[in-house]
Amino acid sequence: MTENEPTVIARTVVRIVVPIILVTAITLLLQGHNAPGGGFIGGVLTAVAFALIYIIYGLDYFETEILGRTALPRALPGEPVEDETQQRPGVTKEFSEVLAIGLAIAAGGGIAAIALGYPFLSQAVAFVEGIPLFHEIEVASALVFDLGVYFVVVGGLLTIVAVVGAE
Amino acid sequence: MSNVVIAPMLVALVTAILTLVTRARPRLQRTVSLFGGGGYVVAVGVLTWRVFSGPVLTYQLSGWTAPYGITLVADQLAAFMLAMSAVVTIAALAFSTDYIEAFGQQIVYHPLFHLMVVGVTGAFLTGDIFNLFVWFEVMLMPSYVLVVFYSGPDHTRAALQYTVLNLIGSAVMLLAIGGIYATTGTLNMADLAVRLSNPEAFGITVGPVVGLAALLFAVFALKAGIVPFHFWVPSAYEAAPAPVSAMLAGVTKKVGVYAIIRLLFTVFGAAQLDLGPFGDGSMLLFFGPILLVMAIASAFLGGFGAVGQSNLDRLLAYSSIAQVGFIVLPLAIVATIPLTDGGTVAVLGGEFTVPTGAGTDGLRVLGIVAALLYALNHAVAKSLLFLVSGTINAAVGTIETDELGGLTRSRPYLSGAFLIGGLSLVGIPPLMGFFGKLTVFDTAATAMATNGTVGEIAAVTALGGAILTIAYVSKAWNDAFWGTESMAVVRATAQPLALLSIVVVLALVLVVLGIGLDPVYEGAHGAASAALDRGAYIDAVGPSYAEVQS
Repeated sequence: MTENEPTVIARTVVRIVVPIILVTAITLLLQGHNAPGGGFIGGVLTAVAFALIYIIYGLDYFETEILGRTALPRALPGEPVEDETQQRPGVTKEFSEVLAIGLAIAAGGGIAAIALGYPFLSQAVAFVEGIPLFHEIEVASALVFDLGVYFVVVGGLLTIVAVVGAE
Repeated sequence: MSNVVIAPMLVALVTAILTLVTRARPRLQRTVSLFGGGGYVVAVGVLTWRVFSGPVLTYQLSGWTAPYGITLVADQLAAFMLAMSAVVTIAALAFSTDYIEAFGQQIVYHPLFHLMVVGVTGAFLTGDIFNLFVWFEVMLMPSYVLVVFYSGPDHTRAALQYTVLNLIGSAVMLLAIGGIYATTGTLNMADLAVRLSNPEAFGITVGPVVGLAALLFAVFALKAGIVPFHFWVPSAYEAAPAPVSAMLAGVTKKVGVYAIIRLLFTVFGAAQLDLGPFGDGSMLLFFGPILLVMAIASAFLGGFGAVGQSNLDRLLAYSSIAQVGFIVLPLAIVATIPLTDGGTVAVLGGEFTVPTGAGTDGLRVLGIVAALLYALNHAVAKSLLFLVSGTINAAVGTIETDELGGLTRSRPYLSGAFLIGGLSLVGIPPLMGFFGKLTVFDTAATAMATNGTVGEIAAVTALGGAILTIAYVSKAWNDAFWGTESMAVVRATAQPLALLSIVVVLALVLVVLGIGLDPVYEGAHGAASAALDRGAYIDAVGPSYAEVQS
């Protein structure tokens, strides 16, 4: 083990903590439209989970181990490159796509209301009853907007983490 | 409730998202961006047509009624400003597709550009001061990135200054808005006007609002680049790519001017209180003298600054400071003079009354017409000049006037476009600028009849500013376009035809606006009347006071 590698404690803690963070994030996202939480805070928590993986396991771990791709060697900062994207982890592209998709979901959710004859961003709610365990589930259209916000935050923050982290 | 109100904003928003999604395919992205720009112009055109041929249109987002929901209001003032910005937007956008290098366009340029347009549109349409803050932020955030676009040391320094100043401005703005909410209990502009003119009915005190409105005013002056809040202007305009400078000078600056007109004249002017040395009457009287001093300082400081510049962009930036002085000068004149025969009008079905904004002599309307016409001239002429400067940069590779010279010989059309823009700034008939200047002088002359000192000071300022304009425009013309051809000009072989054609079209727009002034003047007159017609504005929004009365 070299000096730069994190300790076993750190790696083990991350393995346990990351799933908990992700579940909390999704809970906050789902209850956000009428309780504390929402797309933004859920997105930030999710990004924190990924940031932990980046800090402890390094930038390439996410691509090689989780997505099962080969991480291309990156250009060093200051090294002349034809294309600036060579300095970044390959997954940056997907992150910025997540951002664009999130924006599209949020705006699309608003425009859908216009298509249905209501003002922009109108929301509705429905209660589905008689479900085992839950008894009643609240299905709110505001969740669509929150989901868009969630993706924008996750995509935006992870792009920053990946690009700045590579430098 | 008509979707036509929100259409310009949605078109720009959807275009921004689509250009983000199509980043991997640059040609498609550019096409989408241009079509989106065209769609924006159409949407603004339809909205302007509807507003000018009918009543004030409003839109309640999500269907929540005013004053609780988010209100969009399209009156003639908003429509006039939108139409003005649409002209500049489409020209700057078309210019950028050829001017900005392909890689830069692909990365962020188009989404940011359209998001800036979303912010500008929102700021013009919103009927709620908190949302005004939000739209200012939406407009500013892309502009931070666009100013630092070339990311050299100088650009980064300029952008840092620009960003920090505007962040401070935003913080102050939020503070003022919070204060206004705490004092009056509302954020809706129409509701605010009703409450300020009937303080007893709502149990509020108007005094603190003067100070809070002054804070807001300082922020708007910062966005508009009026002295003493002008110092970010030269370096930011110099650092930004030419089409972005054109947008900053032609569009985002006008958002500051619009906010001053809308909030001071339509909203805060409704408050009646004794202002001590400033006189007894509308809150507007407090801002009149301050605005007058700032306008005079802008006209002279900007003018003198511009004369000494050897970089074309810097010269134009200083000129922008001076020209904003000209735009707010007529506003200052009419804000200083108390209304003659101002009565009250009943609003909301006779439930409340508000003071009228315009007197019987029509001086207030004339002042705002002058400001709007001058703003239109500045928007088109200054963005034309920035685009000419960009074309020179693309063709010759420099915009330092001592390295240029003799451009008239090799590039007659480009020089012609610069001449038209310059002459319009100076105010030579039949160009648009002549009529802008004429109405400014007309306002000053009319004001002399009622308040001699203010009218005379304003007339002297306008005259001095006009002479300085002649000085710096002829300096730029002599150094860069006349004389013997410099080495840089002789060696330059690039023929940026697409850029040139956009510049020429914009120059023609200036000529057409001047020759066919009649509808433009009618539009400005309608917009000015709408800015002062508090009754129509409040009734269109129709805030409901069910909760207050129960």
